[in-house]
Amino acid sequence: MTSSLPGPAGPAAGADGHAGEDLLAGYAAGTLQTIEVWSVEAHLTGCAGCRSALSAQVDTERLARNRSVLLARAALGDGGRARRLLGRCGLPEHLLRLLGATPSLRRSWLLSVLGVLAVVAGEAAAVKYGWIPGGGPGRLAGYRDPAVVAPFLLLAPLLVLAGVAAAFLPMFDPAYRLAVAAPFSGFTLLLVRTLSALTAALVPVIAAAFLLPGPGWLPVALLLPSLALCAFALAAATVMGPRAAAVTAGVLWAVPVLLLATTHGPLPIVQRNAQFACAAVLCASAVVLLARRDRFEWGWMR
Amino acid sequence: MSPGADERDDAALLRAVARGDEQSLATLYDRHAGWLTVRMSRRCAMPDVVDHAVQDTFLALWQKAGAYRGGGDVAAFIWGIGIRRLIDAIRRDTGARRWPPWRAAKPEVVVSAEDQVLAGIEHGRLGQALATLSPELRGAIEATVLDGLTCAEAGVLLGVAEGTVKSRCHRARVALRAALADQQAGPQERAYRQKVWGTS
Amino acid sequence: MDEMTLNVTAVAVRADGLSRRYGATRALDEVGLNLERGITGLLGPNGAGKTTLLSILATVSEPDAGRVSVFGLDPRDGAERVEIRRRLGYLPQDLGYHRHFTVAAFLDYVAILKEITGRRDRAEEVARVLAAIGLEDRARTRIRALSGGMRQRLGIAQALLGRPDLLILDEPTAGLDPEQRLRFRELLSDLPGNPVIVLSTHQADDIAAICPQVIVLLQGRVHFAGTPAGLAATAAGRVWAANERDARAHLSWRGADNRWRHVGDRPPDDAELVPPTVEDGYLLLSHAAGAR
Repeated sequence: MTSSLPGPAGPAAGADGHAGEDLLAGYAAGTLQTIEVWSVEAHLTGCAGCRSALSAQVDTERLARNRSVLLARAALGDGGRARRLLGRCGLPEHLLRLLGATPSLRRSWLLSVLGVLAVVAGEAAAVKYGWIPGGGPGRLAGYRDPAVVAPFLLLAPLLVLAGVAAAFLPMFDPAYRLAVAAPFSGFTLLLVRTLSALTAALVPVIAAAFLLPGPGWLPVALLLPSLALCAFALAAATVMGPRAAAVTAGVLWAVPVLLLATTHGPLPIVQRNAQFACAAVLCASAVVLLARRDRFEWGWMR
Repeated sequence: MSPGADERDDAALLRAVARGDEQSLATLYDRHAGWLTVRMSRRCAMPDVVDHAVQDTFLALWQKAGAYRGGGDVAAFIWGIGIRRLIDAIRRDTGARRWPPWRAAKPEVVVSAEDQVLAGIEHGRLGQALATLSPELRGAIEATVLDGLTCAEAGVLLGVAEGTVKSRCHRARVALRAALADQQAGPQERAYRQKVWGTS
Repeated sequence: MDEMTLNVTAVAVRADGLSRRYGATRALDEVGLNLERGITGLLGPNGAGKTTLLSILATVSEPDAGRVSVFGLDPRDGAERVEIRRRLGYLPQDLGYHRHFTVAAFLDYVAILKEITGRRDRAEEVARVLAAIGLEDRARTRIRALSGGMRQRLGIAQALLGRPDLLILDEPTAGLDPEQRLRFRELLSDLPGNPVIVLSTHQADDIAAICPQVIVLLQGRVHFAGTPAGLAATAAGRVWAANERDARAHLSWRGADNRWRHVGDRPPDDAELVPPTVEDGYLLLSHAAGAR
């Protein structure tokens, strides 16, 4: 790195081997000749006293300004490992920072989701692997015990809906009025938050679905209902307000599932006809959402 | 510096920074930012870029203080990080016009007799030899030898292509060798020449 | 916006006939105001409609009737509303915080909402406002560990991000101790760019100390708009000091000099007329409005 140039014996040397005041002033001002500069720099590398003497020659306001910016950046950090990873995938850094305010992405929330899934799917998985005996009414041909998956079918899309609701309901954002009063597009903020909450919720749900007994297409079959439910909630929010929309969406899923579970068995809710219905709801909701998206720019404080 | 200033040495401060102590980072900044700013300003005339590079240097210290293995001056360690941050900052700024990093406007003055007496003959001779070089050649030597940069990095710093840096270094060494060829070299200078161009 | 550059003393924020109801309550009733650059105080008791008015000016809620013009821009138009928000700094009443955020992270979040996207620019702005309100040492503290006064200062800091031209502060001095109040006043008078500042309070001494202009809002209506001296002058000739309580006065209380102070229409016996303060004027107005 730094070469071993003639050090203190060079022209930088004052009587005691240190750089004189004039020399440092000349260095700071850029008026020294090359060889003197090299000597001063080599000397400074080893001498703290001359370094602080040189600091005194630098504009204090400039140093103070850089100091406070440095400390602010150090305080901000880089957002953690997850953000670094996502940033390298090309996602803009400022959007990733916004996610920090979403409750559905926090560890506590995700742990709760995992907890619920563990209970709901765990029982079904235990039956599947024969750890506890299954049995009950309503057997469908080819499947051991569809009633066992009923709790999971009920709760899994609701868990996804809950994650998305936490991302867009004002009651979950304590600084909501700041977001409204800010120029950042309310719709973009909404999309960023809900899409990330959606992903964060879908992954464990679908993974848990693989543990369940029942048809192999069950994990995939959960996708459309979950997406449709969330899209419906968002679109309905532009009409009836966010809280009412979230509750309505939840009820619109829970009631059919419960009805089916007590009569035929819950599987029809994820079979073909229902999938088409969900796809239709998803498309219609997407259209409504896009058409009424400036409703989100005003917030819900009308 | 605040009253009751930190008495710990730089290595101890770096260890504290590695543990996440922000106050130690601030103290390191107070001790080293001044000379770092000046030294960088000699290589880049744009103060904004230098400011960014200084911030980035201490941020890099904040994130990677553990990389300091305890050998050598902390100041040299900091400069090693700093010069590379400066090059990155200049690279990011490539849209803007790059000013020559040396104050080429000032004409070189022959080292005065007094300075020569102070300096000792070797220094005066080396200084005179350097003075015969054009500013571009001097800059190339400084970047590669003094700062230890690769030719590519030196190219970014000086605003020229890598090949240009290589040829300038070569010409500079040839010129220096010629300027000193007919003079008696002392032991310190022989060591220096060994370092710069590999022979005495 | 062309008007602004031509006529420096032009009114920056104008409101006309603003009305707003919440159910049966009339929060605002035909409110109009003109705000210029500099500090304007909005004085009124709780429930007078200050928060509603400020949230309308901050483009966070919409009035049922009336018009608002901020720097010549109309919040009812989508693009102009965004432009207003770009020049706005807002501290709502009882602002909540994401408690897990650190101070710096929260300010960073608000800076992104204010469209400061560059990382370095954000850090500079965060550093600037942290220094302005004196919380630099707390940059890495989590908000849940902050005291009430510090949280309030954090709220003021986020409003300052982006150097707004219009600063709307709803009860900014709530929870601040006297020394912090003093520093807040200094801070406001030192802001770059001479923005339009409107702050609400229910304490008259805040007004007297910092606001060259004051608007008194009572029961959703503007009862006074002018200088604090003018407000005090409305009580001229109706404030007395005496050694005893007077039952006939509108209001009487024991003042700092240990004498009873009466605000009313009829002088009590052996009382002397004293020069009115801003608070006296405000109290008289409140009483008059309440009597209606």
